[in-house]
Amino acid sequence: MTVEWVHPGLVLIVGAWVVPFVKGRLKQLAMVLLPTAALLLCLRMEPGTYGTVAFLGQELVFGRVDRLSLVFSYVFALLTLIGMVYALHVDDDSQHVVALTYGGAALGATFAGDLLSLFVFSEIMAVSAVLLVWLRRTPASIAAGFRYLLVHVFGGLCLLAGTVLIWSQTGSIAFGSMSAYAGSAAFGLILVAFLINAAVPPLGAWLPDAYPEATVTGAVFMTAFTTKSAVYCLIRGFAGTEILVWWGAAMALYGVVYAVLENDARRLLAYHIISQVGYMVCGVGIGTELAINGATAHAFAHILYKAVLFMGAGAVLEVTGRRKLGEMGGLYKTMPVTLTLYMVGAFAISAVPLFSGFVSKSMVVSSAAETSRMGIFLALTLASSGTFLHTGLKLPYYMFFGKDSGLRGHEPSSNMLVGMGLAAAACVIIGVFPSLLYEHLPFAVEYAPYTARHVTDTLGMLGFTALGFFLLLKHLDPEPSVSLDTDWFYRRGVSAVLPGLNRGLALIEGVVGQVYEVVMQRYVLGAGSRLRDLDARAIDAAAVGVGRYTETLSRDLRGTVTGNAQYYGLVMAAGVLAAIALAVFGL
Amino acid sequence: MKFLERQLEDPARLTRLKRWFYAGLAVVALSEIAAPYVFHEEHAEFAFENLPAWESVYGLISCAAIIIGSKLLGKLWLMRREDYYDR
Repeated sequence: MTVEWVHPGLVLIVGAWVVPFVKGRLKQLAMVLLPTAALLLCLRMEPGTYGTVAFLGQELVFGRVDRLSLVFSYVFALLTLIGMVYALHVDDDSQHVVALTYGGAALGATFAGDLLSLFVFSEIMAVSAVLLVWLRRTPASIAAGFRYLLVHVFGGLCLLAGTVLIWSQTGSIAFGSMSAYAGSAAFGLILVAFLINAAVPPLGAWLPDAYPEATVTGAVFMTAFTTKSAVYCLIRGFAGTEILVWWGAAMALYGVVYAVLENDARRLLAYHIISQVGYMVCGVGIGTELAINGATAHAFAHILYKAVLFMGAGAVLEVTGRRKLGEMGGLYKTMPVTLTLYMVGAFAISAVPLFSGFVSKSMVVSSAAETSRMGIFLALTLASSGTFLHTGLKLPYYMFFGKDSGLRGHEPSSNMLVGMGLAAAACVIIGVFPSLLYEHLPFAVEYAPYTARHVTDTLGMLGFTALGFFLLLKHLDPEPSVSLDTDWFYRRGVSAVLPGLNRGLALIEGVVGQVYEVVMQRYVLGAGSRLRDLDARAIDAAAVGVGRYTETLSRDLRGTVTGNAQYYGLVMAAGVLAAIALAVFGL
Repeated sequence: MKFLERQLEDPARLTRLKRWFYAGLAVVALSEIAAPYVFHEEHAEFAFENLPAWESVYGLISCAAIIIGSKLLGKLWLMRREDYYDR
């Protein structure tokens, strides 16, 4: 590793261990300085290949720096900083160490130029994320964490298996476009691994299952790293894979449908992560320069506005202890700053002009139009309406306005507001000055988001979505319920199978018992008693016979043996003489 | 937030707010119809985009379709009691 190049992820992963050993202001300083240092390192980095290490005859590349990895590294480092500011008040070193490690691993995966180091960093990410769920320290979070681990260990094994296949077929583990392997098992395995991490249904139920159970501050990191790191990997390996176009569009709608049914504030937002990642997956599938730029820009913008939304919902959860929309309402009077910042995030995700989503999401939608995919264009626009409906209208309506629940919160601690403020400011800056983001995208951007037609179209769509919302408001009242998702298979499916399994096992056990009885009692025991007879008659008799014979023999011998040493000596001397005679006469 | 509180809790002011909302919608829809005639900067990719106020109409349809479609799916199939997984 060259001295001039320091891995920003390593700074976070190693530096995290400073946090438990310092106290007070110094601890808070470390929590802010570490991600700041990582961000500066990323910003100062020049494209090139750094940090190559020889390992088992392969080259591990820890620093593949190009335009694509750089833009993702900026937002991962920035979000680590914002998330740490939001978490400054938390008196739990474990959470801080884990969160910094998580961010460091995300940077590691971004700069990884080979499949093996990518695998290692995604495993570190999976473990850190599980710890952020477990550190909430409730029975529900512990159970959800185990389910998260179950899914991600499976995904990790798929990636490892794909890596081994490619290694054995080509002798190289470099991570680049997978199109050369299309149709092979390795292609499928690695694609499935990335799709699991990107929470693509039906492999994505882990996301809304685990994220609402994570700690208030930990969930902010979780919303950013795992899924967007997977989007990065998909762009890197699977750009232009046709199946992703339809899968992504379906995913955008899937998240919206579940968000209608959802009552838990953070779970509703989690379903909208799936919906938004759907746009990115769709963009990856379309694969044109505009689409890839769009997927990248949307991932960048998404990380920031989703952080604002999760921080807002987390602040309400922290202050009131309530997570169900049905139990909230009327909080705008006591939490106006939280509401304002939340709404910035909500406008950004809804692609309101002057907010970040407007300049990023529309690139993906336009790329669908540009390639004449009418169905995709309509589906993505439909999902945009749904996004505004839930994140911009339903959630704030029931949380902050609506029927006054009598709940009286207060603003969260100032560092939480600063964290939200930083991310909200980023949403507005990107929305107002899109070129700041566009100039870092992988391809040169010729896209102009602010045309009269685009602005009026968007405002019309959003405005009339709002009209529909108020007209149908009474149908939207949150209900205390859970919605079936594919996690049913490993949460209830298994227990539905268990009684059947039990019956089957009991049957097998009965048969085995019967067989055992017949074989054991009749044959084995019978054989045993026969052997015992044989033992008593033959063996014993033989042993006794041998004993008797030996006794007789020794009695006979006693007659010949006198026990006098001189006779023995004489016999020995005679023997020696005989041996000499043999040797001399050559007999 | 005292201002917002006054607007929302006074029925007369709330009605006025609603009226402003509808007026805003009318302005948005009209400007969407007018924009292509005033600015000739870009053409639509699909023919249906040239229908008058297409996005506004589609926004309203989308919103209704999402709410009704999802609720139907939920009621008929997906929604379960809150303690479904704990039993």
